[in-house]
Amino acid sequence: MTTAVNTGVGRVIRVIGPVVDVEFPRNAIPDINNALKVDVELSGGKKTLTLEVSQHLGDNQVRAICMAPTDGMVRGTEVRDTGNQIQVPVGDGTKGHVFNAIGECLNLKPGEEIDADDHWGIHRKPPAFATLEPKTEMLPTGIKALDLLAPYVKGGKIGLFGGAGVGKTVLIQEMIIRVARNFGGTSVFAGVGERTREGNDLIAEMTEAGVFNDTALVFGQMDEPPGTRLRVALSALTMAEYFRDVKNQEVLLFVDNIFRFTQAGSEVSTLLGRMPSAVGYQPTLADEMGQLQERITSVQGKAITSMQAIYVPADDYTDPAPHTAFTHLDATTNLERKVSDKGIYPAIDPLASSSRILAPEFVGDEHYAVATEVKRILQKYNELQDIIAILGMDELSEEDKLVVGRARRIERFLSQNTYAAKQFTGQEGSTVDVKDTVEAFKKIAEGEYDHFPEQAFFMCGGLDDLERKAAELQK
Amino acid sequence: MGAQLRVLRRRIASTQSIKKITKAQELVATSRIGKAQERVAAALPYAKAITGVLTALASNCDVNHPLLVPRPVVRRAGVLVITSDKGQCGGYNSNVLRTAERLVARLAREDKNPVLYVTGGKGAAYYKFRGRELAGEWAGFSQKPTVADAQEVAKTLIRAFVNGADDDLEHPGPDGILGVDELFIVSTHFVSMVAQTPQAHNLAPMQVEDVEGDRGLLPAYEFEPEAEELLDALLPKYLVTRVYAALIDAAVSESAARRTAMKNATDNAEEMIKTLTRQRNAARQAEITQEISEIVGGANALAAAGSDD
Repeated sequence: MTTAVNTGVGRVIRVIGPVVDVEFPRNAIPDINNALKVDVELSGGKKTLTLEVSQHLGDNQVRAICMAPTDGMVRGTEVRDTGNQIQVPVGDGTKGHVFNAIGECLNLKPGEEIDADDHWGIHRKPPAFATLEPKTEMLPTGIKALDLLAPYVKGGKIGLFGGAGVGKTVLIQEMIIRVARNFGGTSVFAGVGERTREGNDLIAEMTEAGVFNDTALVFGQMDEPPGTRLRVALSALTMAEYFRDVKNQEVLLFVDNIFRFTQAGSEVSTLLGRMPSAVGYQPTLADEMGQLQERITSVQGKAITSMQAIYVPADDYTDPAPHTAFTHLDATTNLERKVSDKGIYPAIDPLASSSRILAPEFVGDEHYAVATEVKRILQKYNELQDIIAILGMDELSEEDKLVVGRARRIERFLSQNTYAAKQFTGQEGSTVDVKDTVEAFKKIAEGEYDHFPEQAFFMCGGLDDLERKAAELQK
Repeated sequence: MGAQLRVLRRRIASTQSIKKITKAQELVATSRIGKAQERVAAALPYAKAITGVLTALASNCDVNHPLLVPRPVVRRAGVLVITSDKGQCGGYNSNVLRTAERLVARLAREDKNPVLYVTGGKGAAYYKFRGRELAGEWAGFSQKPTVADAQEVAKTLIRAFVNGADDDLEHPGPDGILGVDELFIVSTHFVSMVAQTPQAHNLAPMQVEDVEGDRGLLPAYEFEPEAEELLDALLPKYLVTRVYAALIDAAVSESAARRTAMKNATDNAEEMIKTLTRQRNAARQAEITQEISEIVGGANALAAAGSDD
């Protein structure tokens, strides 16, 4: 796998944007997913472009997707088949480095070289059924709303859903700070089709948190052609798999943003001339997502815990892209615009977010009971919202007024000061123990804090924080 | 998408039926205001007359009637709160109740034990929910109170007040009934169609209040029967007048408050229907657009595939 064998040389016969058709000799047609190399000369500079074969057209022609802009590529240009898939370096040498989708390091100091244990192809098989190990251990985050209502699973897949600008990336960064900092293993970050600036922020933040040297980062941001954005998640995943399978390490995999992976797939699909399916997505949507998600799993004793941000187009959760991702996840955190409009951050929708392990046998009876009660109160408040909007608070019965008062307090108490948002709020983040979270919400739901002003519940950590704020407001 | 459309349609329908109810309530309340105001006007001449007589009586003799003399130590104070029987009148009830709570808190600070009397179902429900005991409650006449209703309420209050005269610090006096030593009334005063203010008044020990304007010099009376006997008969009647005046004033306020509240509710419902309708239209259009683009895209793809052959 490591040694690239030059098996065949072909010629470019057609270039349509990132799609390139290549003709090969009859006996040397490259396999699907093989990487092809092309040397091009453009305004004085020489570049080697990488292509990936995605279709056999017949007549000795293959259709390939280019991983870089195809400027400078002309008909007749020579194309070399590497005989292998796109290879990325794996191993401890990748930590503290930034890569692109085809495994080139982007932050090498002059003279420095990547000391890779091996090079792996990015298309791999998911682990066998027999080796899978579903875990039910909770991964505490110290964020009240998450720990209480959608507890994360160690070794599980966690999705952060949200429309544009509700705080997905900030929450991912928050998770990096909270989880990666206290985490012994290795982290891998995949930046898929998001803003380049965020990549920079992330590196600075990771360096500050002291986790950069334990992290491998792979970026294919929104300025890259669709081929790159489609493959960058696989490249990152391959690095994570090496740490899991060969190094036997616990791995944290962050992906921001899975939707861009789907989107890139859709672009490629259109360029390849496949007929669009529902809402214009590729017909192979569920298949592509499945191939990626099935590889992100925990096997016996070794876990990949993944956190994936998933953009929800037009806040519509029934859109096929987020919907396909939904079914693969152990815990989903839905970020809601209505919540962020109220200034409550993280803007977690307490009713829509869920987790596989929010059940009495995993989190304990009390935690489950409190979470259910909190959801019941919020649900009731939701139902009363229309009446309040039309008739006003005064028309509610005494019982309902009490529920609304508590729901508003709970709603505010679900907000929390975060480390990543320190630059916006000027407030240091807070970490709340799961036990304290459960106790606090139990007390609020029982009405022990009904006399506290609603504002006191806003952006605070645990109960002591709340009491301190309430006392401050009293003055 | 389809589900969203259905949810929107249902919400629009339910908002529309709420709007129908609030609109009807608004119209009913509007017609009630006029009638209630007539009743206030009709009660005025009698109130004037009885006040005149009492003022004359009080200024002409020097009697210590129990209803007139402040008690040296006040242990228990009765508070009559006038609320409405039905809701949908905005902040009417909560305003009265808030004023009542403030009065109760003040009384408690002054070491007077508050005893609650409530007219109107809403007030009774408020106190019962909080587990507070009511010494008396009446309901069923908040929109159209009669003198008989006022008499019934006043009778209970007077009895409690008279009974309170012989109580010592902790225990009821010889009569065996715990009474009160002061009486207050909390009700809503109608200022205008848009303003009704809750207020707390002292009811007993009584100060005879003038009703509008000065009557000039009072003539010198001779009493037959004796002044004390007259006071005994007239003072309870005067108290009924005071309670009745408060009840009818509150009834006007209630209707006015309901009219305003229901007008706002109707406006809110209209606004909501407008927003929901826009959302529904957008959702419907999005669905149509999506279907068209899928059909066109599919057809184009088929056509392109066909032309290759």
